[in-house]
Amino acid sequence: VKNPSSSLKSRFITRFLGALTKINAEDPISSPSPTRILQLYRRIKVASNKSMAYSVRSRRIWSRAMLSRFRSRRSAFSGRRSSVKTTNCTTINVTINENKTAKGGLDMQTDELRELVPGGEAMDVCNLLDETAHYIKCLTTQVQVMRKIVDFCHISKKSSM
Amino acid sequence: MESNAGTLETRSNKTALEREEVAALESLQFTDEIHCLMSAPATDNASSFTALLELPAPQAVQLIHSPDSAKLIAAPAPNVEDFKGGFHFPSNGGLIERAARFSVFAGEGNNNSDSPEATSNNSSANLQKAVKSEPAETDSSQPLISDPTVENRGIKRKDREKVKGQTKKSKTTVKESSDDTEKLPYVHVRARRGQATDSHSLAERARREKINARMKLLQELVPGCNKISGTALVLDEIINHVQSLQRQVEFLSMRLAAVNPRVDFNFDSVFTAE
Repeated sequence: VKNPSSSLKSRFITRFLGALTKINAEDPISSPSPTRILQLYRRIKVASNKSMAYSVRSRRIWSRAMLSRFRSRRSAFSGRRSSVKTTNCTTINVTINENKTAKGGLDMQTDELRELVPGGEAMDVCNLLDETAHYIKCLTTQVQVMRKIVDFCHISKKSSM
Repeated sequence: MESNAGTLETRSNKTALEREEVAALESLQFTDEIHCLMSAPATDNASSFTALLELPAPQAVQLIHSPDSAKLIAAPAPNVEDFKGGFHFPSNGGLIERAARFSVFAGEGNNNSDSPEATSNNSSANLQKAVKSEPAETDSSQPLISDPTVENRGIKRKDREKVKGQTKKSKTTVKESSDDTEKLPYVHVRARRGQATDSHSLAERARREKINARMKLLQELVPGCNKISGTALVLDEIINHVQSLQRQVEFLSMRLAAVNPRVDFNFDSVFTAE
């Protein structure tokens, strides 16, 4: 049983709120334009997923995949190409395809699931289901926390108006 | 009809089976229990006997009738008075190899109304546990390995569909055994009725069971999935759920982006709101 003060939820909350304040601090205008909102939206989305991935750290395949994705994205922005990772993925993909035909009619759905769960391409069905379960759990926590934050923001906004 | 014939034959051959089983179980140090059973009259107490033997009656019959039983080597059993030394347990490598690949431990008889399923379940579980703790390469384990082999042969000889006994699939160690066939950790794999017992299908079945167990967990996680039956639909539901959760995250982050600029975040108040 995890210590409640260091549970996944609290770790996520701490990180996410920290990221939000950081994003908030950059914003000069109080009523942003739609483009600004879109920019903020993207940043917040990334911050949310990142916070969750960091809270899970490397304990799960999907979080590791997500973290490496973030890191490669960052390195791609700074000019370097991380093409090695994609070729690895494709070779793994080929072998997985050969193995998948044995499973029969569920291939389509496992394919879809693989696309949804980060890092799902390189997993066998057994691990995929495991990771999906944990991923669902983390996603629900994420949604829960974000909803509470939004409600809180709305409430404080209303009270300040 | 089959069960009646089975029990009749079992009763007549009970002493023979008893001896064999006694010799086999001797190594498990069930000596006291065996003595109790042996002292009981042989013609009755079918329930306790089959529970101990862990074979449904017809399978036990086949065991006796199959010519392989003649090969059983006499196990050292000095405490057993009735043991005439007529049974030999095979010690040749080929048999053990086959045992490695598909030794079958007869489980409870689901369709057999005579055998008490509860006790056979318990005893089979206990036997399995005791067996698992046995060292892998002792001589005493050999009779046990060959014993199921003989059973397996006997089962395969007759039409399996006619066999009344149900065997339960337990955790398989066939994968390890297929690598090293001479000296094995104890292989106790049970085949389902009417299904093949070769290592590939057993491994396949183990894999499938793992997957089914995980699917069950997923079903509990995803709301509304409990009522659905069939893996395809459940997977569909799971995929929908993951997609909806991801979309919710996006939607909420959009809301946050719209709301965000006007609010300072007070950590404590947010935490107390949790």
